[in-house]
Amino acid sequence: MSSSYFVNELVEESTTQVTPERKKKLGILFWICVSWLLLNLLGAILANVLPLQNPLFQNYSVINAGPSLHHLFGTDDLGRDIFSRIVYGSRVSIEVSLGSLLIGFGIGAPLGMLAAYRRGKFDSLLTTFMYTFLAFPAIIATIAVLSFWTPRSLLKIIIVVGIASIPLVYRVIRTATMNIATKDYVIAAKVQGATDWRIMVKELLPNVLPIGVSFLLIGIATVITLEGSLAFLGLSVNPPTPSWGNMINESRTILQQNPWLAIFPSLALCLFLLCLNFIGDRLRSHFEVTEGNL
Amino acid sequence: MTPELLVVKDLSTTFDTPAGPLAAVGNVSFDLNQNETLGIVGESGSGKTVLSRTVMGLQPRTNVTVTGSVLLNGFEVVGASDVEKQKIWGLQVAMIFQDPMTSLNPVMRIGKQIDEILRVRLGMDRSAAKARAIELLELVGIPSPAERYSDFPGQLSGGMRQRVVIATALAGSPQLLLADEPTTGLDVTIQAQILNLLDEIKERMKMSVVLVTHDLGVVATRTSRLIVMYAGRIVEMGSTREVFANHRMPYTRALLDGSPKVSNPSHTRLLAIPGRPPNLLNLPPGCSFAPRCSFATDRCRQERPELQPASAPGHSFACWNPLPTSRGATS
Repeated sequence: MSSSYFVNELVEESTTQVTPERKKKLGILFWICVSWLLLNLLGAILANVLPLQNPLFQNYSVINAGPSLHHLFGTDDLGRDIFSRIVYGSRVSIEVSLGSLLIGFGIGAPLGMLAAYRRGKFDSLLTTFMYTFLAFPAIIATIAVLSFWTPRSLLKIIIVVGIASIPLVYRVIRTATMNIATKDYVIAAKVQGATDWRIMVKELLPNVLPIGVSFLLIGIATVITLEGSLAFLGLSVNPPTPSWGNMINESRTILQQNPWLAIFPSLALCLFLLCLNFIGDRLRSHFEVTEGNL
Repeated sequence: MTPELLVVKDLSTTFDTPAGPLAAVGNVSFDLNQNETLGIVGESGSGKTVLSRTVMGLQPRTNVTVTGSVLLNGFEVVGASDVEKQKIWGLQVAMIFQDPMTSLNPVMRIGKQIDEILRVRLGMDRSAAKARAIELLELVGIPSPAERYSDFPGQLSGGMRQRVVIATALAGSPQLLLADEPTTGLDVTIQAQILNLLDEIKERMKMSVVLVTHDLGVVATRTSRLIVMYAGRIVEMGSTREVFANHRMPYTRALLDGSPKVSNPSHTRLLAIPGRPPNLLNLPPGCSFAPRCSFATDRCRQERPELQPASAPGHSFACWNPLPTSRGATS
């Protein structure tokens, strides 16, 4: 009885291990993070349709209220609903991060791949230029530009943050591509007469992609923090439009009367970034192990 | 007399290093007939790989100077642009790399890697290319090729991967196949299988093969002619039989003494060549092998010997004090 039990267990174990289709698990925490991000994204997209209170409506009868059934996260010093402001605020964060990374990756990634593949003068010139760019701290450069480029709008912030992220993307993609461009299979494709374009798209891109994706996720987090810092300094979108950063900024003055006003947007920001970082990290190690197995 | 497929004349490949010019390949000339197998042997660092890549026209984009001429079927490889070379790559000349673990794209199905060239270069449609790719997989001895077609390289063993690499090289039906140490990364038992496969395919497709290796056992039975390289230069060349039986260059002798023979009694010590290959940046003025050669004289250290013909036709060697042949002839 007991021996047959053991045999069964052994058989089961060996079959699960042998099945080649079985993928390594990403873990429950990974999926929790993914759903949290999706929830945020959905909230940002559907904010107009959802039964939320007007984030700009000032209800002077309830100011600085704590969390209640009517105002889930309480209200701020002008009587605006914090919950709805956080949901609307996520729009700015998400728009800025996606928009600027579209610029960053759209320009930085192809240049990085091209430089790593072609090498030579083109590469050394471009790399020197990018690294010079990197020498300026992104926050100071963006503050400098945004202070003079008025009136501020979401588009301008996206452009400035996007340009600031180009060298970062360029550096990561160039290094990753260089690692792959020297592999034998790239040379093998070349001596089969593949054109440069074909090698970039078919050989390099699929192999750079996992690194690109995980950097994209970490990049989003960085850019959201950057937007938050700019908003905190009053250099992001103009009030009364809510963003996580300027909500934290506004809470600063009345921190003693109403700490909720600081806690909730900070929490939203932290959770969002934490999830992004975790997913990016998880994906990277997931793909790295697969590569090692090959 | 079959026309020559490949004529290499006075080929030199020089790398510009911070420490000065480094001649990885120096004044190499040889030719190759159709449907012939040529072996190139030498120690690590003797310039075999650089030679085969130069013949192919594969150089880093900067810091390298190639002089001389490589005429492949009437096409001058030296000095041609990448765009021009793309026309012959894959269709007239193909290459097999040393390590099958890295010469396949890990994220592309093996079938796709074979039919790329069929579709892009030969203009086949999707289904015809797939059928031909499965045919090629069968040709290189992969069991149930139709199912393996959609496998990723990671699902195959080293020997199987090298078969796939050979299949990709054969896809464009090249006339010349450069095999750069095709069996170094494989088990001994698999090595023999892969070499036999190459032989068989060469006969079937009427190709010429250049087999680059450091293993004399590999070239002994499979090549008709042999080139022995040392420090980037040819030190002896001739028909394989002649080089094995009547080698004149002490370096060839040393290489042969360094490989095990079945006829030796067991526990025979192999003779290692003392010292190391010379630093190519700082070559001695005379024969490059002189510092390690037991027959070296002052002349060897002062003057560089040129290739001179030996008694057998096609056999030549570069040495001032050649070994006596078994026939008792002097130079």
